[in-house]
Amino acid sequence: MEKAINRQSILLHHLRPSSSAYSHESLLSASVCAAGDSASYQRTSVFGDDVVIVAAYRTAICKSKRGGFKDTYPDDLLAPVLKALIEKTNLNPSEVGDIVVGSVLAPGSQRASECRMAAFYAGFPETVPVRTVNRQCSSGLQAVADVAAAIRAGFYDIGIGAGLESMTVNPMSWEGSVNPRVKSFENAQNCLLPMGITSENVAQRFGVSREKQDQAAIESHRKAAAATASGKFKDEIIPVSTKIVDPKTGQEKPVTISVDDGIRPNTTQADLGKLKPVFKKDGTTTAGNSSQVSDGAGAVLLMKRSVALQKGLPILGVFRTFAAVGVDPAIMGVGPAVAIPAAVKAAGLELNDIDLFEINEAFASQFLYCRNKLGLDPEKINVKGGAIAIGHPLGATGARCVATLLHEMKRRGKDCRFGVISMCIGTGMGAAAVFERGDCVDELCNAKKVEGGVNLLSKDAR
Amino acid sequence: MPVFKTPFNGYSVKFSPFYESRIAVATAQNFGILGNGRLHVLDLNPGGPISEHIAFDTADGVYDVSWSESHDSLLVAAIADGSVKLYDLALPPTSNPIRSFHEHTREVHSADYNPVRRDSFLTSSWDDTSKLWTLDRPTSVRTFKEHAYCVYSSVWNPRHGDVFASASGDCTVRIWDVREPGSTMIIPAHDFEVLSCDWNKYDDCCIASASVDKSIRVWDVRSYRTPVSVLNGHGYAVRKVKFSPHRQGLLASCSYDMTVCLWDYMLEDALVGRYDHHTEFAVGIDMSVLVEGLLASTGWDELVYVWQHGMDPRAP
Repeated sequence: MEKAINRQSILLHHLRPSSSAYSHESLLSASVCAAGDSASYQRTSVFGDDVVIVAAYRTAICKSKRGGFKDTYPDDLLAPVLKALIEKTNLNPSEVGDIVVGSVLAPGSQRASECRMAAFYAGFPETVPVRTVNRQCSSGLQAVADVAAAIRAGFYDIGIGAGLESMTVNPMSWEGSVNPRVKSFENAQNCLLPMGITSENVAQRFGVSREKQDQAAIESHRKAAAATASGKFKDEIIPVSTKIVDPKTGQEKPVTISVDDGIRPNTTQADLGKLKPVFKKDGTTTAGNSSQVSDGAGAVLLMKRSVALQKGLPILGVFRTFAAVGVDPAIMGVGPAVAIPAAVKAAGLELNDIDLFEINEAFASQFLYCRNKLGLDPEKINVKGGAIAIGHPLGATGARCVATLLHEMKRRGKDCRFGVISMCIGTGMGAAAVFERGDCVDELCNAKKVEGGVNLLSKDAR
Repeated sequence: MPVFKTPFNGYSVKFSPFYESRIAVATAQNFGILGNGRLHVLDLNPGGPISEHIAFDTADGVYDVSWSESHDSLLVAAIADGSVKLYDLALPPTSNPIRSFHEHTREVHSADYNPVRRDSFLTSSWDDTSKLWTLDRPTSVRTFKEHAYCVYSSVWNPRHGDVFASASGDCTVRIWDVREPGSTMIIPAHDFEVLSCDWNKYDDCCIASASVDKSIRVWDVRSYRTPVSVLNGHGYAVRKVKFSPHRQGLLASCSYDMTVCLWDYMLEDALVGRYDHHTEFAVGIDMSVLVEGLLASTGWDELVYVWQHGMDPRAP
C-alpha cells in the first residue's frame, strides 16, 4: 500500500506542481469494492484464456422426406458448414484441434465415419481428428460444450463443435428387442415412451391447453416467417448446393438450398384446430404444435480468446457455462425449466440478466410450461421462431441455435449481453448453456444514457 | 486508422526499428499505481485491425519499453518493481524474460537502447539514478547518480554513442558522457519537474525537454542559458517529447491534458497539429522511423492508436 501511495503522490505532483513538492499526504486507502464480487461483472478478458466463438453457421433446415435435403447425403450437409467456418475466417484448417459432431439417430460408427469424410470434403487435412457425441436432442449443444471444455482444459486451442441430422436417412427407430427388466423400473420404462406421449403428460400434468399450444405454434411460424422475410437468417445460413429428385419422374435437378422450408407464414388458429391429436385420442399434441422432423447441420468455431486476438478474428460470443440436468423421463420436456437456472447460476447470473433465449420447441406444451415456470418474458424467447416453424433436426439443433442466437445478439447490439440456449432431452434431461456477447468487455464503448432510478451496482451490493 | 484496446492502462508505445508494421506497448494495471503489467507486441495489418503478436505478463506495471537496435526480436522493459527485463519474441512466453536485472531500488521509468553502438542500453528510475547496461553482463556497467529526485527519462544522443541526456524531477536536464566520471552539463531547464527529453535527430547539439510547467523547451547545449524555443500549448504537464526522425524541426509530445501535439520549433507558429483522440492522460508517443509521418500513441484510456499525421486517429 505504501508503494501505491508513493506512486500516486509522484504522479499527482505532475498535475499539481504548486502544492508543496514533497508532502506525503495519503489520498489512497483500501476499501471493500462496493460493486461486490458478482461473477458477471467481475469477469474480464484480461488473461485471454476464456473460450470464444468466432464463427457459427448452419445450413437451412428442411423438412425430412419432402424438403430440400431429401436427396442429400448427411455428409454433404455437414461439409459445407465446416468449409464455411474455414473460409470465412481464413483459418488454416490444420490448426483445428478437434471436430466434435453431435448426431442422434444415425448408427454410431457409420455416422462417425460420415463425419470424418465430411471433414475431408470440407478441406481439412488428415491430421485433424473428428468424433461424434450423442446426448439426444442437445447433441449439437453438447458438442459445442465439449469443445469449450477441451479448450479450457488445454487439450487444444481451436476446435469445432457441430451438429448433423438427416431424419430422412435415419428415422427414429429401435433396433432389437427391449430388455423385459424395464418393467420393474418405472423410470427405465418411461424412457421408452414416445416423445409425443411425454408431451401429453406435460400438457396434462401442468394444464397446458390445446388452444395455448396452437397459439404458440402460430407465433413461432409468424416470427420465423418475419425473420426470413427481413433476411435475418442470411448471416447464419450457408447455402448448400445439392440435388433434388422429382418423386414422379425420377429426374435429378441441381439446386441451392438457402432458406428454411418448413415455415408456414399463413398458419391460423382455425387450421391448427382442425388437426387431430397424434399420440392420444383426447390429447392436445398435434403435428401442428410439435417440432418438425427435419434435415440440417450447423457448426461453431471456438478458440481461446488469446488465439482469436492474435489472429485478429472478430469475437462473436463467449462461451460461459453449460449444464445438463436429469428430470423425470415421463415428462422429459420440463428439462429446460431445470437446466436453465443451473447454467445461469453457474455463470454467476440471474434469470433477469439474460437478454435472449433460444429454447427448443420440441413441443408447444413443454415449451410453454418451461416459459411459464421460469416466468420468462415471451419477447426474449425464440425471437426468430423455434423448432415448430424451423424444424428440429435432432443432433443439429444445438449448433443451429448457437448460430441463431449469436447472430441475433450481434444484431441487437450492446444491450443484449447474455444469451441462453436450452432444450429438453429424450429420456428425461435438460441442457442449457450461457453465452455472452463477444465485445462487451473488449470493444470501445462510449458512455450511454442511464434511465433514472437504476441501481448500477451489482446485485451483491444491494 | 486502427486502434487496439489493451486490458491495462497504456504507459508507452514504440515502433520497431526493423519492421514498419510492428509496435511494442507497455501497460500497467490500475494506472500503474497497483497491480500487474503487460507488454504487448502488436502487428499492424494493412486495411485490417491491429492484431496481437505476443504479450508478456509481469508482476508489476511496465512503464516503458525499448526495441533492441541490434536484434529484431529483442525488447527491454522498464518495470515498476525496479527490475529491467529482456524479452526475446522468438522464444515462447514460457522462456521469457531471458534476463531480469534487479538493481534499481524504485520504479524504473524509462529504457533506451543505444542506436549507435547497438550493444548497450540505458534505464532511469525513480531511485534518482540512471544505469548503463550491456547484454553480456549480469550487472549494470555504470550507475549515474547526481540527480536529486526521480529520473524520468534518459536518452542516447543519436550521433555519439557515449553521450546521453537525462530528465529529472529535480528540474534539471543533465548531459553525460559515459567516459567521464560525472555529468558534463547541467541544464536548469524548467522551474518544475522535467518529465522527458529527446535529442534532435539532425542536430546533435539540440535537445528538447518537457515539463510539469506545461511547456516544451528546445535547447542548444552549446549555449544553454536561454532556450532556443519555448513551445506553449499544452494545458497540463507534458509527459513525453519525441523528435521526428524525418524532419529536423518536427517534434511530437503528449500530455496530461489528454492531447498529442505536433510542433515545428523552427516555425513562428510552432504548433502544427493537435490530436485529442485520447479520453484519458496521453502518456506514450512514438514516431515511426520506417514510415514517414506514422505516429503511435497510448494513454490511460487503455487504447493504442496508430495513424498518419494529418489523419484523424479515430477515423475507422
